[in-house]
Amino acid sequence: MIKFYINGFSAFSGDVSLEQFTPYVETRRLRRMETMAKNALFCSYQALEQAALPLHEPKNMALSVAVGAGSLENTCKFMDSILDDGDELSSPTAFAGSVHNSTGLVLSLFLHTSGPCITTGQFEASFPAALLTAISFLHKGACEQALVVVAEDINGVAQTYAPLQPQLFTNLLRNPQGPFIRATASFVIGTKPLGNNPFAVNRVEFTRTEQDSNAEYGKESAFTALETVRLLKKGQAFILEDSFGGAQFTLEATAYVKP
Amino acid sequence: MNSQRSIIAASGCLCACGTTKEKCFEGALSGSARFCLPSHRVQSAYTDRYPVFLVEDSYVQSCPSKQSLSLHFFLTAAREAFQEAGIDLAVLQRRRVGVLVGTSVDASFHCLQVYQNWRRSTPLPTDAAELAHYFNSSTAQAVSRYFGFTGPFQTIVTACASGTDAIGLADSWIKQGICDAVLCGGTDEINLIPYDGFIRLLIASKERCRPFSKDRNGINIGEGAAALLLVSPALAKEQAWKAQGYVLGYGNSCDGYHPTAPDPTAKGLKKAILQALQEAQLSSNQLAFVNAHGTASQANDAAEAVAFNELLPQVPVWGSKGVTGHTLGAAGAVEAVLTLQALNHHLVPATTGFQLQDEQIGFSPTLKNISIQNRAAVSTSLAFGGCNAALILGAENYYD
Repeated sequence: MIKFYINGFSAFSGDVSLEQFTPYVETRRLRRMETMAKNALFCSYQALEQAALPLHEPKNMALSVAVGAGSLENTCKFMDSILDDGDELSSPTAFAGSVHNSTGLVLSLFLHTSGPCITTGQFEASFPAALLTAISFLHKGACEQALVVVAEDINGVAQTYAPLQPQLFTNLLRNPQGPFIRATASFVIGTKPLGNNPFAVNRVEFTRTEQDSNAEYGKESAFTALETVRLLKKGQAFILEDSFGGAQFTLEATAYVKP
Repeated sequence: MNSQRSIIAASGCLCACGTTKEKCFEGALSGSARFCLPSHRVQSAYTDRYPVFLVEDSYVQSCPSKQSLSLHFFLTAAREAFQEAGIDLAVLQRRRVGVLVGTSVDASFHCLQVYQNWRRSTPLPTDAAELAHYFNSSTAQAVSRYFGFTGPFQTIVTACASGTDAIGLADSWIKQGICDAVLCGGTDEINLIPYDGFIRLLIASKERCRPFSKDRNGINIGEGAAALLLVSPALAKEQAWKAQGYVLGYGNSCDGYHPTAPDPTAKGLKKAILQALQEAQLSSNQLAFVNAHGTASQANDAAEAVAFNELLPQVPVWGSKGVTGHTLGAAGAVEAVLTLQALNHHLVPATTGFQLQDEQIGFSPTLKNISIQNRAAVSTSLAFGGCNAALILGAENYYD
């Protein structure tokens, strides 16, 4: 595996407010943006800032977006329009927004990236695979920096079904303290250390196991992406070993010390 | 030969123009495919007007109740690939084998009946087939579980470039040494949501699509799957598996331009093609042909023409969606297998549906089946969200 660094990271649960965007972008540009994309964008601004990368300049950065169920907000809006108004009056705007890759478009537009862009959608196992994708683009030399974004949507139908079918949604949503809520995480990774507190990544492994998803539900440490950010915030070396939804993920990193 | 280069050891395909990769290629050469109104598959007010490209009904009817149709299609193509190439699954089960599958429908919450029930607050049909398919539709993981592989798995949902991305990233997993082999490709099925969605975006045609034609008036949705087994040179040598072809280069970029339309300057697509050419260490005059995304929408074909005229002048352009339809997340993979078939048969099919040259396009795609000498070709894909992908494949005799 190529040597790489985590140069910036950010994560939060819940939704960002428009006011929080004030340092980054004119909020009127966000009026029609779906909630999941707004969360992803805000989180990514923070991660880029930490990595000391320019926010508003064109850059050849790769985007690797991990979604669980994708944009439920727009998917359900489109289904609402079919059910309420009929096929012939259904909303093309909602359909366009329902495409999994729509969050990737928002990020590339607002962050001015022109590098590779891939979206991964496989419920709880999206983040590890998205990280592998970003590493692949670094390995190919397609870019020097990549942004890995974990963005999950949640709405009424998801809140109803998620507890009944926990394998539907990412671990990111498994909030043991309360109801299912949206959550987002962003990581800037690169082939060189940048920013104030980069981490050198020594090992990433992602494999399938024969374990059943349901049997592992309730494992409180299963918020893989949020857990990664929590460990990074401690500023110390760590090994994250997570087992979830028929997969095993290992991430080993050390705080980078300038030679 | 680059010792890290991925070898395509097996491939299979299922779509509207055939039920095996050989039949698909025969369909491409003859221009024949199953193109019909989908009223028996989709309940929409449009089904009496907007035809689609469908897989034979017997393949739909044979789908096990616990599998989504997309998963069933992919497994069918993968089984064909293994059987035809004489691949012993037991060998793969002992090695590090990953799975990368591109899809759109199979990873989307397109459960209209479930959603309607939820809106009415009727009892939740948690055991409903529609919902069960969705819960079990982490496509790549389901494929990995089915074949007993234990490597990484990834379901790519970069819209219509997903199949191409799956193959390009599989190549990267081999080159990085993450896997000894990767089963990759794409799959998609006809579904009401994209069917209505493309029609409402006013980019679907009521007639058979006409890629690159002056009178082109939109896309036809299709369905199908294609699977390729990429292996490391070491594993291929150890098992004496014959190369059906090679992945020579892959490029990817995003436009950051528009949710559903490509950048008309084709800046992003050109970047992806150049990356792929650079990785393959090839110049455009070494390419036998380009298999274009060629959806027959005004914007797509015009943008592709800009890139081809500038970067791939004189390279024959083949649009295959006149026999496959636009198979969405499967498109890049289906077209990769057709590209490989064309290279290995030294024959590029005519672009079915093309009628009149468009001055703005500036070229005519293949007008008849033509013989080729060069042993490499590029396949391009453009996706909603402004993603572009280019994949360069080499023929089975590329290194002879």
